[in-house]
Amino acid sequence: MKTIVVLGVIALIVLFFIAQYNRLIRLNISVNEAWAQIEVQLKRRADLIPNLVESVKGYAKHEQSTFDAVVTARAKATSASSVADVAAADGMLTQALRGLLAVAEAYPDLKASANFLSLQDELATTENKVAFSRQFYNDNVRSLNTAVKTVPTNFFAGIAKVTEREFYEVEDPQDRNAPKVTF
Amino acid sequence: MNFRTQQAANKRKTIGLLVGMAVLVWLVVYAALTYFGTSTAGIVPIAVGIALISVWGSYYGADKLVITMTGAKLIQESDNPKLFALIQEVTIASGLPMPKVAIVVDSAPNAFATGRNPEHALIAFTTGILDAMDRDQLQGVIAHELAHVANRDTLVSAVAATTAGAIAILSDMMTRMMFFGGGRRDRGNNGNPIMLLVSLLILILAPLAAILLKSAISRKRESLADATAVAFTRNPAGLRSALEVLERDSTVVQQKSTSVAHIWIESPLDGKAVSRLFSTHPPIAERIAVLKAMESLN
Repeated sequence: MKTIVVLGVIALIVLFFIAQYNRLIRLNISVNEAWAQIEVQLKRRADLIPNLVESVKGYAKHEQSTFDAVVTARAKATSASSVADVAAADGMLTQALRGLLAVAEAYPDLKASANFLSLQDELATTENKVAFSRQFYNDNVRSLNTAVKTVPTNFFAGIAKVTEREFYEVEDPQDRNAPKVTF
Repeated sequence: MNFRTQQAANKRKTIGLLVGMAVLVWLVVYAALTYFGTSTAGIVPIAVGIALISVWGSYYGADKLVITMTGAKLIQESDNPKLFALIQEVTIASGLPMPKVAIVVDSAPNAFATGRNPEHALIAFTTGILDAMDRDQLQGVIAHELAHVANRDTLVSAVAATTAGAIAILSDMMTRMMFFGGGRRDRGNNGNPIMLLVSLLILILAPLAAILLKSAISRKRESLADATAVAFTRNPAGLRSALEVLERDSTVVQQKSTSVAHIWIESPLDGKAVSRLFSTHPPIAERIAVLKAMESLN
């Protein structure tokens, strides 16, 4: 009878250990998957850009500096690999695209063209998808980092070789500009 | 309260209510055994078995069954690319796989989600809701429906329906035995008349209590889906203004069957519900107020 109880307790403890270990591994995999989703969406956006630039160029030839900014930002975005680099490049590209769309505002013919409108639509939904994949990634990082830091999962982080992950923080200069208060 | 505390509170309450269901089942079994004696214990597994079989079938084939019951038609991406783009956005925000999408031809604005797991999920919209709502509102509705999928509400309501069903069957069998079987078989065991009376009352009232608990669970799952929807979109205003559209609109979906009434985002029945205790949805004004409170946090 006693041995059964002892064996039962040991089995429960082992099961508990396994559960903690698996939870960490699962969270880590979720973060990887969420990261892959960000990359898919950023790639989709990058693929849209050449067409968009071409369609704007057709109407607004003299905006070379804006085109250059977009092309450079796109090249940076496609070559970045670490979380911080990708996030920085993503922010730059968003900024450059905003400039491109602002340029388009000045050309009524361009704004009316069906091709441009459909590209603009597609860009808008891709931007949303990028934003949502970012949010999903950060939510997953948040759960993982909480687990890595809190009892009891923190005891298993070393064994599972799971460490805290980096949040995806976009530097958007527009967000930085806090409204100035004047008296 | 922000959406995280809302989600946690609603999950806690669901668990509490499910525990309540379990206690109720235990009470009914106990009452039956007290009243009729242990010789009747055999009918407990029979009642649970009947309830399990009847509910499990509709749970497993939920997506197909609901399509036939509501007259929804499956559509492809080419049929409505804008709707699909919106749904894709929310699937990315939630990490869920892309669900099947269906349309119900009905001018009343409404929507629902079903399916036994995220891989077999189906979300449906009436033509009325697609016409009545702008992008943000529709995104809120989609997020609410996908929240049901993420929270496994088809499973939760199947569990609630099974226990309520088992209680109803059990209590029905017992009351029949009372009339036709001539009461207790082994009077020697439990002679206390108060216990007998209490047992009898439990047997008679249990089915009603089970329906109340089932409705309460459904209401909590609706509130939870609202909170989870905000977790997906981080935009309580979208769902809030969508609910306001539903509140203003007085048309009601033409239902072929009332048995699927609980799955819609706005209940087609609650307008005529006897009391809010029986309704499957929280009052829409209350849901709007909760979302407004979340908006004020931003």
